[in-house]
Amino acid sequence: MKGLFKSKPRTPADVVRQTRELLIFLDLHSGSRGGDAKREEKMAELSKNIRELKSILYGNGESEPVTEACVQLTQEFFRENTLRLLIICLPKLNLETRKDATQVVANLQRQQVSSKIVASEYLEANKDLLDTLISGYENMDIALHYGSMLRECIRHQSIARYVLESDHMKKFFDYIQLPNFDIASDASATFKELLTRHKATVAEFLSKNYDWFFSEFNSRLLSSTNYITKRQAIKLLGDMLLDRSNSAVMMRYVSSKDNLMILMNLLRDSSKNIQIEAFHVFKLFAANKNKPTEVINILVTNRSKLLRFFAGFKIDKEDEQFEADKEQVIKEISAL
Amino acid sequence: MAAGAADGAGSVGGDHHHHQARYPLDAASYRLLCKIGSGVSAVVYKAVCLPLGSAVVAIKAIDLERSRANLDEVWREAKAMALLSHRNVLRAHCSFTVGSHLWVVMPFMAAGSMHSILSHGFPDGLPEQCIAVVLRDTLRALCYLHEQGRIHRDIKAGNILVDTDGLVKLADFGVSASIYETAPATSSSSLSAFSGPIHAPSSSAAALSSSCFSDMAGTPYWMAPEVIHSHVGYGIKADIWSFGITALELAHGRPPLSHLPPSKSMLMRITSRVRLEDATAESSSSARKKKFSKAFKDMVSSCLCQEPAKRPSAEKLLRHPFFKGCRSRDYDYLVRNVLDAVPSVEERCRDSTQLCGCARGARCVSPCRHASSSSNVAKNRRISGWNFNEESFELDPTDKPPPPEQQSCFLFHHDNDDDDHNMLEHEQETNPTGGHGDDDSSGSARRRQGDNTDNGQDGKDGLSDVAVPHLVTILGSLEMQKDMVMQVLEGGGVGGGETAGRDQEREREEMLVGYVRQLEKRVQALSTEVEEEMARNAHLQELLHERACENHTDSSHTSGSR
Repeated sequence: MKGLFKSKPRTPADVVRQTRELLIFLDLHSGSRGGDAKREEKMAELSKNIRELKSILYGNGESEPVTEACVQLTQEFFRENTLRLLIICLPKLNLETRKDATQVVANLQRQQVSSKIVASEYLEANKDLLDTLISGYENMDIALHYGSMLRECIRHQSIARYVLESDHMKKFFDYIQLPNFDIASDASATFKELLTRHKATVAEFLSKNYDWFFSEFNSRLLSSTNYITKRQAIKLLGDMLLDRSNSAVMMRYVSSKDNLMILMNLLRDSSKNIQIEAFHVFKLFAANKNKPTEVINILVTNRSKLLRFFAGFKIDKEDEQFEADKEQVIKEISAL
Repeated sequence: MAAGAADGAGSVGGDHHHHQARYPLDAASYRLLCKIGSGVSAVVYKAVCLPLGSAVVAIKAIDLERSRANLDEVWREAKAMALLSHRNVLRAHCSFTVGSHLWVVMPFMAAGSMHSILSHGFPDGLPEQCIAVVLRDTLRALCYLHEQGRIHRDIKAGNILVDTDGLVKLADFGVSASIYETAPATSSSSLSAFSGPIHAPSSSAAALSSSCFSDMAGTPYWMAPEVIHSHVGYGIKADIWSFGITALELAHGRPPLSHLPPSKSMLMRITSRVRLEDATAESSSSARKKKFSKAFKDMVSSCLCQEPAKRPSAEKLLRHPFFKGCRSRDYDYLVRNVLDAVPSVEERCRDSTQLCGCARGARCVSPCRHASSSSNVAKNRRISGWNFNEESFELDPTDKPPPPEQQSCFLFHHDNDDDDHNMLEHEQETNPTGGHGDDDSSGSARRRQGDNTDNGQDGKDGLSDVAVPHLVTILGSLEMQKDMVMQVLEGGGVGGGETAGRDQEREREEMLVGYVRQLEKRVQALSTEVEEEMARNAHLQELLHERACENHTDSSHTSGSR
């Protein structure tokens, strides 16, 4: 409403510039806490500006976003270090402004200026920002905001590659098991995105890092005592191994006796959901045409138990694919 | 009074929550006092948080094995609840897993839900000034949610919680969706299920006014027509419809058309208009005598406008004359005349506390774990262990667990071996047509079955006699309704006698087809529920029986593992 009475409406670039100035102020005056009237005022102004950025990018109840305005905004935003400032200052913002800021950053990852994704270029030159975002999982207050931003940033293939190849990948095994459900799940979602989104990059990562990655994956996630960790990990393992682009990795995985033992134990987990997900990986061991002797030995030794198990192994819904897979597995094992 | 205080009395956008006490993330820090509510896959407990001076909280224990929602959806709900901050919106303190359960720790709303208040003291509805106070706070919550781009999708009296001081909070974001997030599950590419804001900026504004969530959500009576035939997609105005129905629910003690089974009420709403008069006309005679102000009727009918675009926004509705009369003393009125007139939440739920499948009472760490896992076990004989011992590879495979000294080097556990047998017996008892178990177990099963018949009248196995037939009846009625709709469809004469255009006719047919599909899903879901329920009952009986056995005999075959 106020805007109606202003002599000259601000352009999207104006809003970005003002946001940036306010962020710089906030960054410099981070020491003074509370009671500072001037700071409070600037904070309120900043919140208003960030909300305005959001409504330019997403539109509001009455109007759709205007492409030209989005382009202007994006250009000005990445012309200088606005993204860096916004990420650094996020912990100082109030909850509502944090949410707005997260949505603004998310949207900007898809904005194109003369058919180029500006955000991707900016992040490539400022990769340390990803380090900051990932470390957010260690701070309960900002974990969910940084986590959302991070997932948007790794939509860019080059950025996902950076994170995959960084030491941060090891930290995810801790983050996924944080006691706080929403944060652990957020980390889990990011982890999954990293390992499934960019096929070629993922395949390359898994081949190069096979040993440490699957050793961690098996010992810390699949053998975890935490129900959620186990359930999400076995699902992700299935997604990764069943992806055509990871076939070399899959062959390597299903040729290992140790992996087979872990999967067989998951088959008899007390959770039906885990059993079913484990089956989708176990079937790959059975279907492998070049089973190593040690794998065959285990399958033969447990043949009658396995066949008895599969005879009673049903899922609630009717699922033709599942039944067909099960039949195939039974056939393979019987024929050994 | 204890509840709600810990949540702070924050206003929109305040960062008060950062200074909130940190609630511990482990089950041992809480003591469950009693059950105060339960649903299909969740139980709500009143509990105290020991390290925080025994602060009273409510804990919702969601069984992740039973819950039909996948983990991503559960996470989305938890995240939504963690990021909302408004005086009238229930916000979780924290959530963490306990076995296969998710515990969501929330403020304890001591007066319970409006639905429970209605059914425990006001079956014919509340006085208008109370309705106004409750609805105004609910609207404030809705305003906040909608401003956040969030749709609640399940507004009803059962989700409006009240504290003893009259503070109202809107709860249950089990089905809430954000228009800034791509719709889960229905999105074509499974990868995008995790992505944040809607992809193309151009489509997001359209989404703001009419988000296209095509999955079925909400509870039948409160559902807006455009949610029911979900292919149309729906937006925040669907919440306004449900709000209007909730207003009628508070006024009459139950939602309109609730004398019909849920699915039929849906059909009515699709084929004909629901008018305010319908709602009142069919109410009981005592309710019909009730006089409601013109302002109230006007407010409700504006919400129940068939066309979503014509329904007012939550913000506009808040300025409606009906809410102008609200004074702070109305809260006192609400407390004195309504909240004080109904039994406490604990008393209301006392009858049902015994129904918890877990025989260990409210203090057990993982509620109903036994009950839920039993349904799996019952269907599926568990393998006692794999043989990974390379030395024994030349020997015959064994069905017995390896000797104890070898166990330690194996990765598996041998916990419920005896349970398996017990479960099997039950399969035989409750499901005589079902297949028999393995040869090695049937011997003992038969012996045990003998014991069972000796022990027939234990008084409590009436539970399954009541619950199962009831569920079967529901299932049957649903199936009948499905057939009815099918017949109507085949006959072609939908609704009859209406002078609708051809387009409308076609549209209606589409709706009905969609409706039938939804019904089929429901029937399917219900059949699984019946199955699960039967398995649960079987397990309960087994427990009872086992206990009786332990009391009467010390025979060698009851080497139960518990």
